Amino acid sequence: MIKNHLKIAYRNLLKNKGYTAINIIGLSTAIVAVLFIAIWVQNQFLHDNFYENKANIYKLLNRTETQGQIQVSTISMAPAAAILKKEYPEVEHSARLYWATESLISAGETKVKSSGNEVDPDFVKIFDFPLVEKATEDMLSAPNNIVLTESLAKSLFGNTSALNKIVQFDSGESYNVSAILKDLPPYTDFTFKYLIPLQEKKIKEYGSNWSTNTYYTFVSLKAGSDVELFNKKIASLVHENDAHLQRTAVFLYPQSKTHLYSKFKDGIPNGGKIEQVRLVALIGFLILIIACINFINLSTARAQKRNKEVGIRKVAGATKYILIQQFLIESTLLAMISGVIAFFIASVCLPIFSHILGQSLIVEWTNPILWVVAIGFVLTVGVLAGIYPAFILSAFQPIKSLKGSIKRDYLLSFRELLVIFQFSTTIFLIIATLVIRQQINFAGEREVGYNAEQLIEIPIEGNIERHYDVIKTELLNNGAASHITRTGWTVTADNASSSGNFSWEKATPEQEKNTVFTIVRVSGDDFVNTLGLTILEGRDINYANLPADSTAILLNQTAIKTMGLQNPIGKYLKWGDATFTIVGIVKDYISGSPYQTIRPVLIHPSKRYLQSILIRTNDQHTVSQNLAQISAVIKKINPNYPFNYQFVSKQFANKFKQQEQIGNLSLVFSLLAIIISCLGLFGLAAHITETRTKEIGIRKVLGASIHSINILLSRDFIKLVVLAILIGTPIAWWSMNQWLNDFAYRIDVEWWLIGIAGSIAIIIALITVNVQSLRAAKTNPIDSLRDE
Amino acid sequence: MIKLENIFKWYQVGGARSFVLKDINLHIEQGDFVSIMGPSGSGKSTLLNVIGLLDEPNEGKYYFMDEDVLALKAKKRASLFQSHMGYVFQAYHLIDELTVYENIETPLIYKNLSSKERKAIVADLLDRFGIVGKKDLFPSQLSGGQQQVVGIARALAGSPKLLLADEPTGNLNSKQGEDIMSLFKQLNEEGVTIIQVTHSEKNAAYGQRIINLLDGQLKDI
Repeated sequence: MIKNHLKIAYRNLLKNKGYTAINIIGLSTAIVAVLFIAIWVQNQFLHDNFYENKANIYKLLNRTETQGQIQVSTISMAPAAAILKKEYPEVEHSARLYWATESLISAGETKVKSSGNEVDPDFVKIFDFPLVEKATEDMLSAPNNIVLTESLAKSLFGNTSALNKIVQFDSGESYNVSAILKDLPPYTDFTFKYLIPLQEKKIKEYGSNWSTNTYYTFVSLKAGSDVELFNKKIASLVHENDAHLQRTAVFLYPQSKTHLYSKFKDGIPNGGKIEQVRLVALIGFLILIIACINFINLSTARAQKRNKEVGIRKVAGATKYILIQQFLIESTLLAMISGVIAFFIASVCLPIFSHILGQSLIVEWTNPILWVVAIGFVLTVGVLAGIYPAFILSAFQPIKSLKGSIKRDYLLSFRELLVIFQFSTTIFLIIATLVIRQQINFAGEREVGYNAEQLIEIPIEGNIERHYDVIKTELLNNGAASHITRTGWTVTADNASSSGNFSWEKATPEQEKNTVFTIVRVSGDDFVNTLGLTILEGRDINYANLPADSTAILLNQTAIKTMGLQNPIGKYLKWGDATFTIVGIVKDYISGSPYQTIRPVLIHPSKRYLQSILIRTNDQHTVSQNLAQISAVIKKINPNYPFNYQFVSKQFANKFKQQEQIGNLSLVFSLLAIIISCLGLFGLAAHITETRTKEIGIRKVLGASIHSINILLSRDFIKLVVLAILIGTPIAWWSMNQWLNDFAYRIDVEWWLIGIAGSIAIIIALITVNVQSLRAAKTNPIDSLRDE
Repeated sequence: MIKLENIFKWYQVGGARSFVLKDINLHIEQGDFVSIMGPSGSGKSTLLNVIGLLDEPNEGKYYFMDEDVLALKAKKRASLFQSHMGYVFQAYHLIDELTVYENIETPLIYKNLSSKERKAIVADLLDRFGIVGKKDLFPSQLSGGQQQVVGIARALAGSPKLLLADEPTGNLNSKQGEDIMSLFKQLNEEGVTIIQVTHSEKNAAYGQRIINLLDGQLKDI
């Protein structure tokens, strides 16, 4: 029986090649889309969620109340890790991780620049990173131990084993390789190529008290510990240790949730990337439904052609059940063929998709579970697409179906409903894509407040710190640079903020408590000109030439507005014990995320902790000329280092990466959805035109023009698309407004945008239908009327 | 074998009933070769369909081999049909996607016969109707007469006791028609009960008995 079913299914597919092609292209496109989405979603769920002990691994977060709001930060204080381990029996291990730093590492003559983290030794006990080999049980037990990843070990030592060899850091320290780890997968927040133990003298340098947040702290609890209970216990930990810190508390948050559930609102977990994951999964599901609808519509449209077969089979003794089985086998066969094609396309196109996303994706093609799920999925698609047509087709009554056509009004309108659904979804996706693009462009075109072009940053490393003045003079003299300064961090990131310990003239206690300053540390020589800020009042800090300027600060407009200061120049601002004098007001500029509103900024001079040189290159020269000259100067000072620089404009562009990812995802998938919907419409139009060939012939004999016949045939479809626009746009309007609510700096969904989306849909539908109807309208009526 | 009592069939047209069959009472014995005749629209095909269980009357009783068919459940009726009846159509109604062999095999598949049994029966039929050489051809490659032979072979595949034929020669030329009719006669001699609907006196003459229908009513001969 099955063999007979398969045989007839195969012959049917072969006989109706056009119909089969439309179905296979549609289904395989949808399966490719779903595969990509599944791979992406699976990688999101795997993110930092692949450790053996994942159920017991936590990150220590801190919760601070400012401005009546609770802010949650992932950075914690130095003493917390040790105290948690010492005083709480539930804690199995605890470890700190300091920000990733870049170092020049040498092994003999080989020098490699690489980034890594300083961690407490327990770090490698909490996370079971896959190991290649190790020399000692406790990989980081000795202060001069270093753990390398496989690729770094290979670039340092080639194919010989790195174990127990010595590597030298540019800072002078040398380390003994105690273990080699496999390279980290792309789905983790950790990016280190090496790990070294945190040392006491560095902890002092980085800040070791409770009021400085500088570390990520990871904790693993003993199996079976109740984390809720534990969090209650440690709620007052910070306050107990530092009576000044009344508004700060720490708590454990599962490491497995840090990727997908990273957003907090008022101190309570409130979604995060999971929303994006759900959205994308929904899109995948919708695309699949659209493709299944194609199949349903085309098979029910062709039902009349198969009436006869159903009738004969019933007369030959087939029961309804057997016929349903037969039609399901046919749809499943189609799905299987599409599935095989889709897997082939997906495996070939995965790198392209990864590239579009800007994120590498991992698929374990050898995992048997993957294949079981995949085959199960394809079969489900076959059944999903086939079940409705199977019931419809098998329900035909033999005598009626043998006698010829039966008109089923409800069937037609159901088909129309499905087309409307398809196009509503497509319009939704088109609008979503347009809105996301527009929002990205909007934030991208926002006035930055400084000139990011021509600006480059060079990390301060090796001998640069000691010879900064020489570098500055040389670069200004040889014309490569027009302005040079140093900053604490890269200028495109908000790295520090402070609040609660400020006071100023006529400040109310409310204001003092609630004002949060973004802190920018500069060297105090030419900062304003280098960055290209606009001074509204007063002057730049000139700490380099005026020692008295050690307490001079710049504030931005927003800071002055928030503080409520009148005539601010020359007024004081107390920050803890230190008193600063306001020497200038700068025009607001974007210092953090381009989607946020501008916050108060405090720019203060310092001689220490300056990590990068900021150079405004000479715009009279070409970029490569400037870079060559700068490189030559830096090489002279730091002969052992590769020349390392970054364009500020590129760093700024990176801020758009996550949104661009969503934008690209929606672009790819709405294109796929459009293709699939159009295929369906194309098939349906072809069928309907075919059934109306005779009518068209008669109309032409009676004198109808090609144009009028074209309109006659297109009208019905355009009606459906218009209905779809009416349904799809309000949904899109509402949901895109929800999405935009996440941004403080955002666009509104404009009506002309919806107009564009609607026009795109109508134009595409018109073209699709017209290909068919024009062909029908152009046929010679003699041919179409002769065939009976 | 067949006993029809007071069979009525009508369609509701507006408020009135339009009768297709009106008070039909009919006995057909095993081994009969009956021809149903009458003008177009007289209800011949409907009567055949009622006998063949493809259509139901609105009123009346139908006994097939002493079984009250109309009281049976759909499933039981289908199995009754499968095991006792074969149907031949005017337009042959072969499945275009299947070969001659597979077309004849189809009812056997639905009877859940093993592939070995099917092979034997189909081979026997192909041989009997002299179409062994055509077994791998598709219907579109055959002439009308040949297609009808396949249709009859298919109808006989389930070795039915009753063969129902709705104008079996209607689409054929006279030579082909004669061949089909003599085939029927031969089958009848072998013991198959045959009921055919026909327009042609000549074809009706092959049978032993003629039933005349006019406006849904039996006309006495």
